[in-house]
Amino acid sequence: MKRYGRGIWPMLALFVLLLVSLSFMSDATHNSEQFGRLYSLLLLTNALGLVVLLGLIGMNLYWLLVQYRRRAAGARLTSRLVLMFVVLAVVPVSVVYYFSLQFLQRGIDSWFNVQIEASLEDAIELSQSAFDVRLRDMLHLTKGLAGELTEVPSAVAPLSLYDLRVRSGAIELTLLGANGRIIASSGAEATDIIPDRPADAVLLQARQGQAYVGLDPVGDELRVRAVVQVPTGGPSAEPRILQALYSVPERLNEKADRVQDAFARYKELAYLRVPLKHSYTLTLSLVLLLSLLSAVWGAFYAARRLVAPIRDLAEGTRAVADGDYSQQLPVTGHDELSFLVQSFNVMTRRLAYTRDEADRSQQQVEGQRTYLAALLANISSGVISLAPDLRVRMVNDAAAQILGLGSEECAEAALETLARQHHSLQPLVDTVLEQQRQETAQWTAEITLFGNRGRQVLICRATTLPGDDVHPGGLVLVLDDITALIQAQRDAAWGEVARRLAHEIKNPLTPIQLSAERLRRKFLDRMAPEDAEILDRSTHTIVQQVETMKEMVNAFSEYARAPQIQLQVLDLNRLVREVLDLYRGGRGERGRPAIAAELDPAAPRVEADAGRLRQLLHNLVKNAQEATADSAEAHIRVATRVIDSADEQPYVELSVQDNGPGFSAEMLAKLFEPYVTTKPKGTGLGLAIVKKIVEEHGGIIQAENAPEGGALICIRLRPTGPASHSHGPGA
Amino acid sequence: MACADDAYFSVRDARTQLKDGVYLLDANVVYRFSDAAMEALQNGIPLVLEIQIKVGRQRAWLWTDTVAALSQRHRLQFHALSDRYVAHNLNTDQRQSFAALDDALYALGAVRGFPMLDQRLLEAGADYQVRVRAALVVEELPTPMRLWAYASEQWRLDSAWYTWRLQP
Repeated sequence: MKRYGRGIWPMLALFVLLLVSLSFMSDATHNSEQFGRLYSLLLLTNALGLVVLLGLIGMNLYWLLVQYRRRAAGARLTSRLVLMFVVLAVVPVSVVYYFSLQFLQRGIDSWFNVQIEASLEDAIELSQSAFDVRLRDMLHLTKGLAGELTEVPSAVAPLSLYDLRVRSGAIELTLLGANGRIIASSGAEATDIIPDRPADAVLLQARQGQAYVGLDPVGDELRVRAVVQVPTGGPSAEPRILQALYSVPERLNEKADRVQDAFARYKELAYLRVPLKHSYTLTLSLVLLLSLLSAVWGAFYAARRLVAPIRDLAEGTRAVADGDYSQQLPVTGHDELSFLVQSFNVMTRRLAYTRDEADRSQQQVEGQRTYLAALLANISSGVISLAPDLRVRMVNDAAAQILGLGSEECAEAALETLARQHHSLQPLVDTVLEQQRQETAQWTAEITLFGNRGRQVLICRATTLPGDDVHPGGLVLVLDDITALIQAQRDAAWGEVARRLAHEIKNPLTPIQLSAERLRRKFLDRMAPEDAEILDRSTHTIVQQVETMKEMVNAFSEYARAPQIQLQVLDLNRLVREVLDLYRGGRGERGRPAIAAELDPAAPRVEADAGRLRQLLHNLVKNAQEATADSAEAHIRVATRVIDSADEQPYVELSVQDNGPGFSAEMLAKLFEPYVTTKPKGTGLGLAIVKKIVEEHGGIIQAENAPEGGALICIRLRPTGPASHSHGPGA
Repeated sequence: MACADDAYFSVRDARTQLKDGVYLLDANVVYRFSDAAMEALQNGIPLVLEIQIKVGRQRAWLWTDTVAALSQRHRLQFHALSDRYVAHNLNTDQRQSFAALDDALYALGAVRGFPMLDQRLLEAGADYQVRVRAALVVEELPTPMRLWAYASEQWRLDSAWYTWRLQP
């Protein structure tokens, strides 16, 4: 469909063919012999040619309509151009057509004139009158000839006829019987063997005695034909008829011929006036149609040629707008449109290049980001990237695991919001805020968290990122969970101390004790009573002190020993009650404080080592007893309670409070360190062991002075027990 | 003068006779002109009348095989000076003039001894069909008239085919 009727050359050929055919047709209408025979064929050819042209235009129109409905690029412009071209062509051609038609009608009418017609008719009548005289003469002559034949018998008629013909100057004399049979004939022209018979009507007329004379057009010349009855000699004689043919003088003949020709020609033309007008009008209309249709087709052709590059450009621009930069339009010609197309091609090439560059850069950035993400995902340190407003930008898996967060909830959340959702993160947030306030560019802090997974000691290293206009910088936190490390280090250190104490101190104690006992056994009985008393007292002191030293070393070993804790699910309240029952025995005795238990029945079971917890309770109660030993109204309160938090697991708090003197500020700072004691007889390991047990269970311990006075020790444990991986037994 | 409604050409009868080894055609044709044809003739327009003759061999299951197709044409024209109608036989170039149109048409309609076919061209014993009809030849009218003559009922002057069998 697209290609049909588009080429310029086939159309040009069709146009020329039709034009030639129309010119032939015009000639034919003009009564030209040459094309007169072809008139119908030419008319058919032209009609077919015009139908073909009409078909091509129809296809073009349909194509344009389809394009228009499809809102194809350039369709509107093409329609407008076609319309403009068609109007430009139709108006002048129509004007020319109208005036040509007028000229044609008037021109043909002007050929005919009433005067000419009358003159020609007069000329004919005049000619006829001129012939009439001659005809009468000829008739008279013929009648004379017939009279001479009256007595001539039919048998000798030919001879008489010859004489008569030569004498009268007739071309041919023929004697006929009543039935029309030729009796005899004499002709001047030897070639005419068969005499020219008169028509039956003429014969009939002659038989009835009426003579006939008339002009007879034979070929180009005129003859006079006279037919008369031959007078009969007697009643029995057969009636005969004589026909004489006379030639007309050549000059007269020529003139008569010219008059006849002119008259006939004029008559014919006058008769043909209307058909002639119609034929000329038809030819003119066909020429008009051919011109119009060719102009319309030309309009389509020109519009398409003009619009093609614009349409390409429009389509190309649309493609570029849709992101297709591979568009390269064909460049034809050297006009401004071609320049535009070239510029478009250059533009798309550059756009494509720029886009490829951008893609490559983005791929590189993506690669780096992926590399960084992989790196961050695979390192054991937690990394948190914060925006300057402390909004979380990125949290790696390790950080999420250390802080017990899901990666999703961290995204774009403010650090403070996270702390509100997870109270355990509060120390971390406090530290960060504090450092922000101080505007420290780089800092390192040790932070202890107490979360769902118990106590965690973190080393937090922070670096402030330099920012610029586009990227505002921020803060990078690197977190390392050193809970297990610290525990291991501490265990190793105390283990070493214990080993050395046992080796360096405890080992010499036994020989010292044995030696003292041996001195006593060997020399006490033999010595004088006063010496013996000195020996007794000295050895007794040595043995007693050595025993004390042994106890001390054992106690320390107990602290430093890496215990194998046996975790089991147990009822904390029951365990507290059992331990406290041991102390109830001495109730009311002097110096023995009253012990009150306030146990929360809702306290959940905890996973713990029962033996270690008992030791913890003994140590605390003993401490409290010792602290209140001098008090008359001494009492100790042991309480358990459940502390709920909205977002985290509830935990169990075990508190031991006394109404003793409480802790001094100096003591509070190093309360849980070994060998710190206020008691004259204490090893200083009681609270250190308590703290160790608490940490083994993943709990935390706090010591403070109660508002109403006295010491208050609070221990918080998770009901599910400690996370074994970070708080398990030390090496 | 004939009316348009009465205008018709008709082959009244036709026959063939064998003479000296040649089939001769005798036919009687009636020519009645329409008003338009009459008017044209009176205005000096020559009219060509044609008698078409076709001889075909009839075959059992096939179409008729045309053995010969020939025609006789006469040009009829009014001669104003002599006030006569001149009939010009275009086949033989013979001219005849008539004082009245009816005489001329009668003379043209009476076909006598028109040599149609050599006997040798026909196969003895075969079945032949001869068809004759008369018509006014529109293509011979002056060019400007032709298109309108084709379109007009007045100029559609032709007779039906007159058919008869011929068995040599």
